[in-house]
Amino acid sequence: MNTALSESVSEAALNFDVLPNGVEQFREAAREFARNVVKPRVQDLDQKPAAHFDWDLVGRGHRIGLTRAAIPKEYGGLGVGMLGVATALEEVAAVCPGTALVFGATLLGQAPVLLSGDPRLQARFLPLFSGDEPVLACNAVTEEDAGCDLIVPAQAEHARNVTTARRDGDDYVLTGRKRFITNAKVAAFASVFANMEGSPGATGLTSFIVPLDLPGVVRGPVADKMGYRACLGSELEFHDVRVPAEYLVGAEGEGMAINMAQSNMARAAVAGISTGVARSALEQAIIWCGERVQGGRHLKDQQFTAAKLAGMAARVDAARMLYLRAADKVDNELPPPVYEPAAAKLFADRTAIDVAETALSLLGARGYLRSYGVEKMMRDALGTRIYEGTPEVLALAITDSLYAERDEW
Amino acid sequence: MSVFPSGEMAVKVFGRLFTVLLEDDDFAAKARQEGMSVRLLHTKPDCELLVTPEGVRAGGEQAGPAAITLRMSCDTAHALWMGQLMVPVAIATGRLRIRGKVARVLELVPMLRPAFDRYPEIAAAAGIGA
Repeated sequence: MNTALSESVSEAALNFDVLPNGVEQFREAAREFARNVVKPRVQDLDQKPAAHFDWDLVGRGHRIGLTRAAIPKEYGGLGVGMLGVATALEEVAAVCPGTALVFGATLLGQAPVLLSGDPRLQARFLPLFSGDEPVLACNAVTEEDAGCDLIVPAQAEHARNVTTARRDGDDYVLTGRKRFITNAKVAAFASVFANMEGSPGATGLTSFIVPLDLPGVVRGPVADKMGYRACLGSELEFHDVRVPAEYLVGAEGEGMAINMAQSNMARAAVAGISTGVARSALEQAIIWCGERVQGGRHLKDQQFTAAKLAGMAARVDAARMLYLRAADKVDNELPPPVYEPAAAKLFADRTAIDVAETALSLLGARGYLRSYGVEKMMRDALGTRIYEGTPEVLALAITDSLYAERDEW
Repeated sequence: MSVFPSGEMAVKVFGRLFTVLLEDDDFAAKARQEGMSVRLLHTKPDCELLVTPEGVRAGGEQAGPAAITLRMSCDTAHALWMGQLMVPVAIATGRLRIRGKVARVLELVPMLRPAFDRYPEIAAAAGIGA
């Protein structure tokens, strides 16, 4: 190889082991938080009544920056981008994905403000996350009759009974009810998507930032979930809530595009959560198969089990590679890319379910016990598959990308 | 049909916009502090500009490296700077596409606010309509 070419190849070489400095430090902090603060409470968080919420835990996560990781430094955030968020959430999710989602949902609620580029909205809301006490946000999209219809543009006209917004003087008036909203019970404000009155379906979907102490906002009962019990999902009702017009994000009728942009952004981080669950299940399986002796040999030395462990390990690594690529692209492209985050989440979600299920199987009866934690991973893995895009919605996004014209850049 | 009759006219108008902004001491100081280097890659008609604290240069990559590239049609750029198209909407709908560290882009957007004030006058002076 000639020298010039050799040097250029060397400069361009990918390094899969080294993250940017700030990102690596944040990941380390998240790992310590997960091991030292979350892990001792994880069974408790899982088994307490549905409405239990550990503010002390959230406060300690807040101290290391989990509530403000993606916020620019000038507004008091860490500015570590989606790469920082996704890698940190993998660490937290490896111990408790429900805790990871408390912070992930907050990021999602912040996303429209971040994307708005509106200094007034940013100055009003972003510094709230840098105080001494933790502040949480949520993203209110889903409704009783409309889920995928609010995130798949082609289905927007078919959406039914969507929360409405109408302009009235200097305000918008919001009326409707959102469901399954993570953090709705504990958030200070919500990113809310409402359809402009008179627009068919959700074709007039519009994005608002809504402080949840406004008159007419009612936080509904907490849903009793199968997994993800450390975070609260509940209803959020809007009874003629007057929202100042300056809290509109973008323009009337552009909510679908904004919602898609923030979903594409967030999917990389959710893939990090699924990767964390899968990694944790794999670690349990590795320990068990390295200790357990049957037929005079460790399980790991038996070919059938070895094949399972190898497959699990390869898939966890592949899931991580996919979400790292997606997060890096999200940090370097606007609008956020569609394909990479969707592919990362699709793969990681399935990997988490399969790896948790295989780990549970390898541990035998112990896998079925709460004390080993693997059954919790199984329950949690099934949850990650639902939010920020079901496999069916992700498949549509991926397939659309495959058939889309290649945009010139 | 584009509001810009030619690429030369687009270079003139958008070049003037950023030249005027850089003449403002506050903007120039912020641009230096942030190490701003932005490539404006406009289409229909084609127009490429590199904006750095040192000034505005026409031309593609040969004009120099840029940390951030904004790609949009001239009509989209016109609507954006006229205040007829919101930045988040332009981004979300893909009419404005950006390559570069998103964190730096988010810092850059508030810096560009004076452009919205200055552009209508600059466009009108060049005979580019609303």
